[in-house]
Amino acid sequence: MPRPFFIAVLASFKGNNKMTTQPYSVFYKVGRGWLMLAAALLLGGCGSSNPPPKTEAATILPQAKAISAFTLSRGPEKTFDDENLKGRWSLFFFGYTRCPDVCPTELFTLAETLRKIEEKSDTAQEKPQVVFVSVDPQQDQPEAVQKYVSFYHPEFIGVTGEQVAVDKLARSMGAIYERAYFLNGKALIFDPEEGAPEGLENSYLINHSATIFLVNPEGKLHAVFSSPHMSDTIMKDLAAIQQSWG
Amino acid sequence: MKTNFYRVMGALLLMATSSIQAAGLMVSDPWVRAAPPNAPALAAFMTLENHTNSDLALVEVRTSLPVARVELHRTIMADGMMKMVQQKQMPVAAHGSLQLKPGSWHIMLIGPKEVPVMGDSVALTLVLSDGSEQKITAKVRKGNMMMKGGHNKMMHH
Repeated sequence: MPRPFFIAVLASFKGNNKMTTQPYSVFYKVGRGWLMLAAALLLGGCGSSNPPPKTEAATILPQAKAISAFTLSRGPEKTFDDENLKGRWSLFFFGYTRCPDVCPTELFTLAETLRKIEEKSDTAQEKPQVVFVSVDPQQDQPEAVQKYVSFYHPEFIGVTGEQVAVDKLARSMGAIYERAYFLNGKALIFDPEEGAPEGLENSYLINHSATIFLVNPEGKLHAVFSSPHMSDTIMKDLAAIQQSWG
Repeated sequence: MKTNFYRVMGALLLMATSSIQAAGLMVSDPWVRAAPPNAPALAAFMTLENHTNSDLALVEVRTSLPVARVELHRTIMADGMMKMVQQKQMPVAAHGSLQLKPGSWHIMLIGPKEVPVMGDSVALTLVLSDGSEQKITAKVRKGNMMMKGGHNKMMHH
């Protein structure tokens, strides 16, 4: 039974992908269709025996998905890798620090989620670690990413790394993003093979998915929260998932 | 010459006064979202209400804050991604309103020399399509996303 259920959910995600409003075209893609196909194959492939806990916003994967091994930088010296995911729940968000609207909104919601869990008096809830991955290592230094996220919550973890490493982790979870280049407010078109024209290498914004990914204490992708996000809902869904994990 | 000078000044004064009165754009709840000290970009939000019989648009914003530049943007969901799209103007229809809010229309303050902190005031000058200007003060505060359906989830701390 879980299989058709999940495919329906996946289809509803895909419903958002209509190419309706796209005033500027986009030139650098991190294989989106490819990801969807891979996700469909991986997720549709196997079923689970236990019924999933009831959640409001979280889509629980019928079978937790292994994340490919990774090593990213946390601050100037520390690293953050797949071993850091073991033994605790993790919430992941992919963004970049030059993002003025979506990332601050998401980080604020995630900080609010943690604070609500901290303030919970009736039943203690295990606090997840929150990891913000900058998909823009070209302009985000690891220490800047950490400083940026610490503003929202002192326990937030900000990481980035080699573009290929970041891309690999994002692909493994199903996060999507692309660089869109602009010159004087107009879309800049060039052959991605040749790269951006000289002097305009940093004239881009990054379009990205606003999904929050939940990784379980085995280090596997367990559920996804698609936007918009509410801290109360994330907190409650997380609690339900944690309880069923037992 | 002198008479002419006063006439011109008088006319200018009259124009200035009338433009403020005729602007008819009501700005409410202007705010700049509190951001990390190293934030490369900030966002300003507000509600614009047009009480005139003609369509208006916000075409430019200037700020007292030392920034590299100011741009008008709109966040849209397309292709499964959130995209920021620069706008030439923000339209406010006659007797209509436009809400600048997280996840939607916003004024982007790019490259601030220093990031203002909670409680600070940021002076903004709104330039409208009819040539009028309006000076406003936006408070810096923390903020959250507006939910679909207009349910405001702004947080005050």
